[in-house]
Amino acid sequence: MIENTKCECGHQNRVGTVLCEACGKPLIELGEAGGLLEMRYDGAARRSQRANPGIIDLVWNFFSSVKVAVYLIVLTLLGAMLGTIYPQVSTFVNLQNPEEYYKNTYGTLGSIYYQLGLADTYNSWWFILLLVMIGSSLVICSLDRVLPLYKALSKQKIKKHMEFLTRQRVVYQGQVEGSAEEWIQRAAPVIKKKGYRVHTEGTALLAEKQRFSRWGPYVIHIGLIIFLLAVLFRGMPGLHMDEYVSFPEGEIKRIPGTTFYLKNEQFTVKYYTEQELPKEFQNKGKLVAKLFQTKAVLYECTSNCNDPSKTPQLKEVTRHDIEVNKPLDYKGLVAYQYDFDLTPKLRSVQPVLVNKVTGEEYGKFKLDMMNPQRSFTLGPYTLELKNKFMDFMLNDDGEPTSKSPNPNAPAFLFLVKGPDLPKDGAQYLYFPKQVDKERFQQDLINEKLGGVEKKLELDVKHMTDVDFSKASSYLNIRMDRAMPFVWTGLAIVMLGLVLGFYWTHRRIWLRIDDGQLTLGGHTTKNFFGLRREVVAILKTMGIEVDEKSLDNGRNKG
Amino acid sequence: MKKYRRPVQIVILLFIVILGGYAISSAVLGSHDRLETGDKAPSFSLLGIDGRVHQLKEYEGKAMVINFWGSWCKPCVKEMPALQHQWEKWKDKGVVVVGINAGEDQMTVQNFAEGRGVTFPVLLDPDSEAQRDYNISPLPTTFFVSAKGEITSIHQGELDLDTLDSQISQLVKP
Amino acid sequence: MSLADLLEISKQAFMYSFFLYCISFIAFAVSVIGKSWRNRDPVQHERKWGRLSFFISTVGLLGHLLYFGTRWAAAGRIPVSNMYEFMSFLSMMIMVAFTIVFIIYRKTLLGLFALPIAIIVMAYAAVFPTEVQPLIPSLQSIWLYIHVTLAATGESFFAVGFAAAFMYLLRTVNFDGREKSDRRQRWWVEFTMFSIVIVIGFIVVVFAFRASGYQAVFSSEQVVAATETSPEVSTKSDSVVYNMPPIVAPYNSKTDSMQSFLGMNSPLLHAPSWIEGVTAGRKLNTIVWSVIAGAIIYALLRLLVRRPLGKLVSPLLKGLDPDDLDEISYRAIAIGFPIFTLGALVFAMIWAQQAWGRFWGWDPKEVWALISWLYYSAYLHLRLSRGFQGRKASWLAVLGFLVIMFTLVGVNLVIAGLHSYAGTN
Repeated sequence: MIENTKCECGHQNRVGTVLCEACGKPLIELGEAGGLLEMRYDGAARRSQRANPGIIDLVWNFFSSVKVAVYLIVLTLLGAMLGTIYPQVSTFVNLQNPEEYYKNTYGTLGSIYYQLGLADTYNSWWFILLLVMIGSSLVICSLDRVLPLYKALSKQKIKKHMEFLTRQRVVYQGQVEGSAEEWIQRAAPVIKKKGYRVHTEGTALLAEKQRFSRWGPYVIHIGLIIFLLAVLFRGMPGLHMDEYVSFPEGEIKRIPGTTFYLKNEQFTVKYYTEQELPKEFQNKGKLVAKLFQTKAVLYECTSNCNDPSKTPQLKEVTRHDIEVNKPLDYKGLVAYQYDFDLTPKLRSVQPVLVNKVTGEEYGKFKLDMMNPQRSFTLGPYTLELKNKFMDFMLNDDGEPTSKSPNPNAPAFLFLVKGPDLPKDGAQYLYFPKQVDKERFQQDLINEKLGGVEKKLELDVKHMTDVDFSKASSYLNIRMDRAMPFVWTGLAIVMLGLVLGFYWTHRRIWLRIDDGQLTLGGHTTKNFFGLRREVVAILKTMGIEVDEKSLDNGRNKG
Repeated sequence: MKKYRRPVQIVILLFIVILGGYAISSAVLGSHDRLETGDKAPSFSLLGIDGRVHQLKEYEGKAMVINFWGSWCKPCVKEMPALQHQWEKWKDKGVVVVGINAGEDQMTVQNFAEGRGVTFPVLLDPDSEAQRDYNISPLPTTFFVSAKGEITSIHQGELDLDTLDSQISQLVKP
Repeated sequence: MSLADLLEISKQAFMYSFFLYCISFIAFAVSVIGKSWRNRDPVQHERKWGRLSFFISTVGLLGHLLYFGTRWAAAGRIPVSNMYEFMSFLSMMIMVAFTIVFIIYRKTLLGLFALPIAIIVMAYAAVFPTEVQPLIPSLQSIWLYIHVTLAATGESFFAVGFAAAFMYLLRTVNFDGREKSDRRQRWWVEFTMFSIVIVIGFIVVVFAFRASGYQAVFSSEQVVAATETSPEVSTKSDSVVYNMPPIVAPYNSKTDSMQSFLGMNSPLLHAPSWIEGVTAGRKLNTIVWSVIAGAIIYALLRLLVRRPLGKLVSPLLKGLDPDDLDEISYRAIAIGFPIFTLGALVFAMIWAQQAWGRFWGWDPKEVWALISWLYYSAYLHLRLSRGFQGRKASWLAVLGFLVIMFTLVGVNLVIAGLHSYAGTN
């Protein structure tokens, strides 16, 4: 059966319309007669309130409901709370066995926490699902409401049904003298002065201002949708990187996963002096860093980039002094100062070969710790590098080996050939660091190897012949191509918030019937201000009213 | 506008399902950085001590034992003979043993390999790229990879001959 | 003028504005209560005293601004970087928000409720160390200024919303009703009163024991897990100083020294193992003391006035229109929400992105800021539906302020994280 939704003014409304779209007469009685009107969307029917829902309609209606949205928001905030009870797994860099850790540190509660998946709450399926549902709600709620609202607001009738006016929340009724049209015409400029757009139609008037504020919520929702989408797409490969890399001073090191190389030219750290610290901190031996900074140069590889057997060709693209709040930023690749390590690392030494018998010195040569040259010709002698040990120690079998890959106690085994030496060469073990020479008794070892140390020795003459990097700088390298969209989304949210909350949409309807003026006023919030404005308008028109008397009924409960 | 209502609804709901599914799966699956059994072995492209560049894909179709090691690491050194032995035993049966050295230079690695009589491919990883891709922390770590490129097991710590043998037999089982 | 002089002026200004606020509160009370005194015209009385009270509170606010400005000059940076500075700033902004709302609505009674909040927050601030601390590098950023000040401004409007909402409840709750719903409302109103008294109890207890110079020292061993900055598991031995008698000593600790109190020579209890951390034991002890002190103060008040505190205050509000209170509460929150969003979320994300390279890390402080935001967003959505005006909305506004307070205080003190800048205590 077709429902009769034709209003007495002749306009045909859709099923579910609360107030006639043309004249505003209430079509459906909600609550008691004489009660306040349902003014949302000006009473127009919303898509989701049509008859006979199918499955798609059911899902759509579900997400379109504000009640559901509120539930989703509340569930999300409760879920988020759970994730703050114990630290999440993401706060630990290298947790080998998370299950055990939670059990040991937090007891049975911790174990349960981990088992329930709460140790990684914000990546759990149910949390993400809540966010997805909020996103859906944002889309569907907005779509469902924006069109009816736009239609209702853009096609407004000036002369509304009497009941429409008398059932607003701000109402005045009183007598006026003289011609109705003339009164209306006099009132129009007064109201205009208050910033309203006034439309008159004989004995009726519609004044409206700041309609744009009604779009506020929808702008907010659009902004949030963009924000959520940007966050989602951020996870896609190639759009996101987050690495911690250490850069020893003076070395050009590749940024993993990219064709970029970074060189830490110099690292500086400055501490607050005793005087600069407040009294409480002085004489406590506390070192508070005032500044730490890496002078960094960024290179891009131009050729031979992916071939490990060839040296990549690099081109400098930018340089920057990286500090904690001042990262290096190159086309979306950002390097943040994260931490530092002041242990010096030996890089190379430049010894000379000394003939102990004659006192002659032969050639200074450069001996790198990493990838050293294999053979050196110094005067009449040749030195062939046979083996090297970065952190010298003798293993259980008495054989030389290395304790770690770091040049903490380097040792080099040479085969020396030349005059006064056996034809096949003699072995010579060299410790560049003096402390290691003594610790491992270099001379004793060499005696056992063939006694070269009696005739020759390698000696570093000056400190300037020793090259080491004073510090390593830990940088956090990040790339985030989706960030511009994140910020755009947030900016739109802010715009919507400001539009929606700092301005209100106000409308005043007037009609004069046989000398009786009826005024109805509506706003989305701040009725207090609207009443004040109406009082001021009426006062200028010669009608004194008390603010309170305009207040037509409050919502009970 | 009326007749576009239904298609619009369907399109939007479809988008939500797709995006939502993507969001949930990438969060749940992507949140573990560790490689686990069942994952595909990450590819690598490294220089070997033989002077040639070796890539993962050249071993396609063969089961692999990928061993990460360093010359300073005692258990790594200890298990080298076992690995060499297994290489000789299984290399004609479709299994290849590959050693990836963690960041030492050419000389050290070459001396080591020659000194211990290691003949299986030994690769250099000076920039720690492979170590990053395989999430290596402690050494030695050995990955057993099936002929299809799937990681069947990850072993941390020294391997003895028997364990190696049984693991490899598992690999070549059809 | 030297920096030390400026700091001195700042300290004095803080104290004077605090006292002015207290006097203004008394004046507001007189303006409201005195209406029914003999030989007075209620309207005139309220107007005269109302104007006087507002004048005093405005002078107090000017003094407060002086504290802020001189401390800024002395420290060379905006003073919002530790708990003391932040809470002082928050109380200042609450007074600013109150001043704005008062100018719009001219409701004298609002002062009776907004001022105590500002006073309590200010007193709470004074509990914390007041030294100007050097900024660690990650705090040296302009975004710090903007984020913290805007967030505090938004929160202060929520505080005013809380005040108006609580007033609404006191005005509308039926203190004589017999029905279950009436009794439930009364119970919760009284519970809110009690909670406020506990906060007062905390402040009283801290200053009382500080004045007496009480001290007890404990030490314990702690296992420290690997974290981002120190990738190794280690144990460390920590000692902690208690400034009030230890009812609860830290978990697994031994007493190094302890002054006796009321015959108590050793700690009564030890914290259970799940209260981890050596300072956590002290915090728990402080909470226990606050509750005890608050309970005592509450009991004394009840004995004095011989009825529930809510019932005592309620008649004062009779002259107010509850709908107006409801509207003030809503309006305050509506004004504060965009500011809070901008400060506590947007600028926080910008600062985090710049300082730590990730705009959101699910850090407890960040999560609780989000929780607060979601909460008020739910509030605003619920306001759209018909049943949610008045009483329900007021309870939500009251609870919302509790969420904000937890975000500010609870997270810093209870949950650890990158964000705790309370000041090395």
